[in-house]
Amino acid sequence: MSAPLLSIEGLRVGFRNASGGLVEAVRGIDFSVEPGEAVGVVGESGSGKSLSMLAVMRLLGSPARTTGGRVMFDGRDLLSIDEARMRAIRGRDIAMVFQDPQSSLNPALTIGRQITDVVRAHRRVSGTEARRIAAETLERVGIRDAGKRLDAYPHEFSGGMRQRALIAMAIACRPRLLIADEPTTALDVTVQAQIVDLIAELRRDLGIAVIFISHNLQLVAEIVDRVVVMYGGKVVEDGPVEAIEREPRHPYTGLLQACVPSLTGPVGPLVTIEGSPPRLGRMPQGCPFSPRCPRAESRCETQMPPLVVDFDQRFACWRPL
Amino acid sequence: MTGPILSLRGITKSYGQGNALDRLLGRDTRFVALDGVSLEIARGDVVGIVGESGSGKSTLASIAVGLTKPTSGEVLLDGEPLSALMRDHGGPWRRRIQMAFQDSSSALNPRKSVSRCLTETLALRGVPKAEREAEALAMLTLVGLGAELAPRLPHELSGGQRQRVGLARALAMKPDILIADEPVSSLDVSLQAQVINLLSRLTRELGLTLLFISHDLALVRTLCSRIIVMRKGAIVEQGPCLDVLDHPTHTYTQLLIAAVPKGIKGRRQHAAAAQIASPISTARESAG
Repeated sequence: MSAPLLSIEGLRVGFRNASGGLVEAVRGIDFSVEPGEAVGVVGESGSGKSLSMLAVMRLLGSPARTTGGRVMFDGRDLLSIDEARMRAIRGRDIAMVFQDPQSSLNPALTIGRQITDVVRAHRRVSGTEARRIAAETLERVGIRDAGKRLDAYPHEFSGGMRQRALIAMAIACRPRLLIADEPTTALDVTVQAQIVDLIAELRRDLGIAVIFISHNLQLVAEIVDRVVVMYGGKVVEDGPVEAIEREPRHPYTGLLQACVPSLTGPVGPLVTIEGSPPRLGRMPQGCPFSPRCPRAESRCETQMPPLVVDFDQRFACWRPL
Repeated sequence: MTGPILSLRGITKSYGQGNALDRLLGRDTRFVALDGVSLEIARGDVVGIVGESGSGKSTLASIAVGLTKPTSGEVLLDGEPLSALMRDHGGPWRRRIQMAFQDSSSALNPRKSVSRCLTETLALRGVPKAEREAEALAMLTLVGLGAELAPRLPHELSGGQRQRVGLARALAMKPDILIADEPVSSLDVSLQAQVINLLSRLTRELGLTLLFISHDLALVRTLCSRIIVMRKGAIVEQGPCLDVLDHPTHTYTQLLIAAVPKGIKGRRQHAAAAQIASPISTARESAG
């Protein structure tokens, strides 16, 4: 088996609080992404999914910082290389697309300028060549008349087109890994379906590996090979999407799946997850999900269950489904 | 009384977009948000209004509560024209139709505690001062929140809690009709389920008439008995919720259904949906 493209090992992210103590939001996570593979990272707000991806990109803003672990990419630990090296990797080898296309684009620069900036930051090409690449990439993400559209400003694009433009910026240098953080949350359902299809298509045609972050397991399952479920800063379950969808082992995964209503079957009250995710600095001693878990017993509250490997699925639960 | 509690008759809303030159040349550059929409809501109905941004569903809600004046057409509340009722600005009609907004962080005053937000609303309804505290706590209990949240400020609450406070505030007026504009779209799936169950319980327990505006068809299916599908300022399809969703007749309804995430099963359907989607999305996107 070949080496994984990205391997996250024991990653921890924390904040210094007012009294100088360390509050950890990501508490030692491990998972890897193979070349060309699509992995979904799911969990509620506050599970640590976005923070861990920002840590991988080394884009954490103060006061958050990485407090432990390694992020191996291409045989190098991204957390220990110097900033100049990291800048060369960011945008060229690993690119990221964010939730809100409106605030991710500079409103004062044309779309074309923003894409050519990315190209010229990483490749020694002429202005004309950069513009040609930009037009080609914009065309690639499904924007018609791309040559003319390069001169448009972000406000002249609809929400869906802006997200396409951001994806164009991300793939302009043909990265090997694309991290998409809730890329469709701000969009209409029909546009969401189009963006999901686009990401699936880019992955198939260009062989780009994808990490897709979302709180909606149903949405993620439409395009990924594997799912990583996070809760309270920990990976609580991961495995092939088919196995996770058919037979989730962690009660949290099961509930996350069940609380999304379907367009078929009987209508009745929705399954809910009572309570809310643990607050930073008030993590339960044992399993982070134990206060909300219908299956919890006394051991769950005091002892953190280890990640157990069952064939190709892993889960951290004392009382799995 | 047997007539509809709320009726909209030929509602049109257009916004002027033209510049001086356009007006001089007599060019029609108005943007039509609603184009002659008529509908009737019976007492106790739970109606879902679905459509994408730009379909006019939020404009419709805003007109129904009297926050926006229609360009033409009339809103009737229990048979009485809203335009006439509105002359009495703070009149009793205000209490009868309330709205819960999409973005709970901007709908609540950041400097007012939960309890103050609710007691002020209760004062508007004319609840005596001595009873307001107790009544505010009762409202919190109604929406499933504990009394310990009463002294908190909006930023000290989670998104789901804020959304419930917004609902409690609307319900504190004891409305007959509640209009909820995308009340769960900013929430995590687990919290969405909690708020949907809450709305479902409230309509049953209080006999509330509910207009639920959403772009999520699966949520509408769970909550509503009737569905209205809107596109570009007009109603394209309506009927009993399960009938419409199981046997959609309009292509646009079919497109919305195809776009709902369906897990692994959704993979193949997407390819098919993209075929239908392209003409509409192209029109939409080049317009946007």
